[in-house]
Amino acid sequence: MSLRLRLLLMIGVSLSLLWGGVAVWMLRDLDDEMRRTLDQRLAMSARMVAGLVSQNPAAWDARNGTAGVSTLTVPATAKGLACQVSSLRGEVFARTPGTTPAAIATTAPGFAEREIDGERWRSYTVEARGLRITTADRLIERNTLLRDVMVAAIVPFLVALIGSLMMLWIGVRSGLVPLERLRQALARRAPDALTPIPDAPIPRELQPLVDTLNKLLERMRVAISRERRFTSDAAHELRTPLTALKTHLQVARITRGQVAETALEYAEEGASRLQHTLQQLLTLAQVEGPFSWDETQRTYADEVARLAMRDAAPDTPKRIVLESDEPPVELALPQALAVTALRNLLDNALRHSPAQHSVKLEIQSAQDTVSFRVCDSGPGLSADELTRVTQRFWRRDTGRGSGLGLAIVVAITERCGGSLALEQRPTGGLVASLTLPRAKRDGSNCDLRCRADHGNNEFASGHKHADPD
Amino acid sequence: MRVLLVEDDDLIAHGIQAGLRARGLMVDGVKTAAQAEAMLPAVHYQVVILDLGLPDEDGMRLLQRWRTDGMALPVLVLTARDAVEDRVAGLRAGADDYLLKPFDLDELVARLHALLRRAAGRSVDVIEAGALRLDPERGEVSLNGRPVVLSRRELALLAALLHARGRILSVDQLKDSLYGFSEEIESNALNVHIHHLRRKLGAGLIETVRGVGYRFNGGGA
Repeated sequence: MSLRLRLLLMIGVSLSLLWGGVAVWMLRDLDDEMRRTLDQRLAMSARMVAGLVSQNPAAWDARNGTAGVSTLTVPATAKGLACQVSSLRGEVFARTPGTTPAAIATTAPGFAEREIDGERWRSYTVEARGLRITTADRLIERNTLLRDVMVAAIVPFLVALIGSLMMLWIGVRSGLVPLERLRQALARRAPDALTPIPDAPIPRELQPLVDTLNKLLERMRVAISRERRFTSDAAHELRTPLTALKTHLQVARITRGQVAETALEYAEEGASRLQHTLQQLLTLAQVEGPFSWDETQRTYADEVARLAMRDAAPDTPKRIVLESDEPPVELALPQALAVTALRNLLDNALRHSPAQHSVKLEIQSAQDTVSFRVCDSGPGLSADELTRVTQRFWRRDTGRGSGLGLAIVVAITERCGGSLALEQRPTGGLVASLTLPRAKRDGSNCDLRCRADHGNNEFASGHKHADPD
Repeated sequence: MRVLLVEDDDLIAHGIQAGLRARGLMVDGVKTAAQAEAMLPAVHYQVVILDLGLPDEDGMRLLQRWRTDGMALPVLVLTARDAVEDRVAGLRAGADDYLLKPFDLDELVARLHALLRRAAGRSVDVIEAGALRLDPERGEVSLNGRPVVLSRRELALLAALLHARGRILSVDQLKDSLYGFSEEIESNALNVHIHHLRRKLGAGLIETVRGVGYRFNGGGA
């Protein structure tokens, strides 16, 4: 139901009910009051006549009664009050003309009501000094009077009610104009327009709504631009090895001998790179998406290290030196994630260290966490590079790695409540410290469905709010 | 035709170089904007292939600077960014053509020839000079309607002379269009190729300008 209709109905109906009730109440009071007043008039008239008669009781002697009737004429209209003076025995001394005798032929004093010839009469009888005085009027006249009074009271009332309902309609309409303007402004926008709603003068009540809407639009704009950038980056990253693959295959087709052989080898390298980039993209999508891992398998730090080392350097296992004298410690995240994170760090360390140098991996456990420290002897990173290194597709040398390795590590730590810290060693090389949560005593894993936002990862948060460049 | 390829991805650079060489073009590959700027004045290139994602400078900015400095060589921009705005920006920055990765090697070669042709002010790809006819893209030469078989170097030499349209080309310029940067050149190699060309096409077509270089002298070119 529209806001306007609801407002109109609510206010209109309650206004009508309230005033209707008041009107009924008032009319009933008025009716009672009128009847009482008319009765009083009847009684007062009778007493007035009784008073007049008492001033000269001799004239109303019962014995001269018959003469009185013929001599006394009381002028009266056909309508209105009727009056009769009679003796207690019933001899009539005086009567207003046009009065139906039966109407006022009462014996009991006080008010009485009776129907004569289809007309209802109300009478009042009073006895004074042997005389009975009765006044009466027609009820139909009373009712006419009552109706006139009621109409006079109700018409202005109805006019006022209808007027206020119309004012209400106009008021609600004009009061909702800013809302309608806002609706039209929103309806006119292009479907992909994410710019804030322009600063038009709006009522104070709507300001919070517009502010919230603008904040939502801004958040959406940032999210969409980040997604677009990611898509465009991903397309770029996939096109590069694809280009190499395609070009070398074409070269192999138009050349012979050694050149063609070499081209095919290069093509294979391009295919491997494409495969690696695709795998990393998929891993990132899985870590960031709502996918679930096998969480039943228990994960131990030393096993994670062993698997990650095997994956990172399948041909040259001696390049990674493991330093750990810890007893096996259980981790609170799926094994696949822990291995992926550590392997990416080892990959980077191996890639940036000179070929004859080894990479050191240390495992240190604390109360609630386990830290994997990967120390390489590569060139390290500058302060500027340290802030950008976890961004997706950032890499120092093009053509080496997918540029997604550290972004994946950060995504894993965000998902499981760990952290990644990178620091430059004074003696050269880089130390990457991956801190992962330990399993609780009861062995429960971190809840992957509920992705708690851990603020202790400076790279992750820095990455999140980084402006698109 | 000698091409400068500015591409930072080794794998792609290798592929393009091998492909263009197989199609009879001379290619030098460099990986950075700085290397490209060092090579450009040192060698006589006819066309530049420029990748936009360079490690040391944005390719678009490099191109803009070249154009501001009056560099007039045709530039083909090679990029993986396919947004229309990117392409428009590339052409505005002074690119003569725009090719999206991944591309077809034959298309790249055809576009390079088209660029060269436009730079030489021709509207068709075939160069005709009197009775001589050269299709640089296919590498076909005919004299008086009869096909002539030329080696790769001879073809490049003839193409360079024909492209010059009667201008005198120095020995260095001719060597640049014949040999890659890393190739060993024997001192009399150019003379040998000139000699072979004269033998196959007739002595009068290539004129020796003493102390300066060579010039094509074949009628209406």
